[in-house]
Amino acid sequence: MSPATKKILVSCAATSGALAFLFISPNIVYAIQSHAAEQTAWWVWMILLFAFSFVLGIFSVLAGVGGGVLFVPIVSGFFPFHLDFIRGAGLLVALSGALSAGSPLMRKGLADLKLGLPMALVGSVSSIAGALAGLAMPANVVQLLLGVAIMFIAALMLKSRAYGTPDLKEPDALSTMLQISGIYHEESTKSDVPWQIHRTPLGLFLFMIIGFIGGMFGMGAGWANVPVFNMLMGVPLKVAVATSGLVLSINGAAAAWVYIFKGAVVPLIAVPAIGGIMLGSKIGAKLLTKVNTRSVRMIVIIMLVVAGLRSLLKGLGI
Amino acid sequence: MNDKEKNTDKIDQVQLVYARVLEMVSHVGMAFLALGYVVYVLQLLPLSVPIDAIAGNWHLKASEMQQKLHTPAGWSILSSSGALFKGDVVSYLSIYYLAMATVVCLAFASVTFYREKNYLYTTIAVLQVLVLLVAASGLIH
Repeated sequence: MSPATKKILVSCAATSGALAFLFISPNIVYAIQSHAAEQTAWWVWMILLFAFSFVLGIFSVLAGVGGGVLFVPIVSGFFPFHLDFIRGAGLLVALSGALSAGSPLMRKGLADLKLGLPMALVGSVSSIAGALAGLAMPANVVQLLLGVAIMFIAALMLKSRAYGTPDLKEPDALSTMLQISGIYHEESTKSDVPWQIHRTPLGLFLFMIIGFIGGMFGMGAGWANVPVFNMLMGVPLKVAVATSGLVLSINGAAAAWVYIFKGAVVPLIAVPAIGGIMLGSKIGAKLLTKVNTRSVRMIVIIMLVVAGLRSLLKGLGI
Repeated sequence: MNDKEKNTDKIDQVQLVYARVLEMVSHVGMAFLALGYVVYVLQLLPLSVPIDAIAGNWHLKASEMQQKLHTPAGWSILSSSGALFKGDVVSYLSIYYLAMATVVCLAFASVTFYREKNYLYTTIAVLQVLVLLVAASGLIH
């Protein structure tokens, strides 16, 4: 069998698996949820949560998004836990993913402290505010807003076109003062790539908004951090993705404490979610070269639209 | 000198310090998380709130569950006698450890920035540590 045929077959298998996951799994889970939630032993839910998070972990890597953004809308649609606990777990999922991937990216100079720290400082303050606001709101309002946010993220994923290495633009005064620039080694071309940034004040403002949204919905914010770094500020894509993880680990930690003190972090739910997503991400990383990532990305967008619609309907009480 | 060493030469010292500390704390954190959960769900130690009670009320809002079950939140998990020998408390502590991991990395980064006489980033890193410590203190919930 030729490698091309093999790749197509693997993609077809992944697509069918995804469609089965999308259409069958929710029905099974929903059926269990509506008819026998109280009769189902807690450990069955934990195994289901671990398995579900594991699949989400695989898909999140293949689609190039963080696990946190998929976790909250999808788990809130199909599991019996209150949205508060799902958001608490979602933040920890995003935080753990960023922590475990952070060290090698930092060593390679891809995650940049001088780029990440100012953004994280404004983002962490606003993520605390977002978490406080999100936990104070009625669940149906948060669910409705989550639906709107998820539909927006799906549209953003569909429309956005990232730039591998954006053109070097004149740095602004603030980025010069903050000494934000760098060089990273591009292994594919065996060359050093210099970068610098512009539109820093606007970038800081957007990181403040992103932090608030991330804290409010308990989602990782890689879906927003990366386009702002890459498309707005001119950061090369690899540096943008890696530094987004650094920002996420700081903002996620700040907001997580609010959820912890409000009693919205329950280890029974949070730990299997973290374990499932992290294990799935490792498998996803291995499948990355074998699967057609464009089709997977499309499937994830469809999953987000379905989850967003469910969230909207739930928020409207339908 | 190989490619990897050449590349490491170009990376700021503070990045390497942050990476080293992060690697250590995240490995310990993941092991602690797994171990804490095993101790919790297998009930190898007594629990302050039974698992069945949590499972029977996880459809409630966090504040309602807390009111009904008197589940501990924040540092109050350590207030009961013999707290450290309770399975759920061990699992909670593993999560708190993860949430504190960034503070440890940033503290080391602050010191390195200071040693490099980069006072601007020393200030930013110290402010970031303060924001996280205030969040972890529970003063603003």
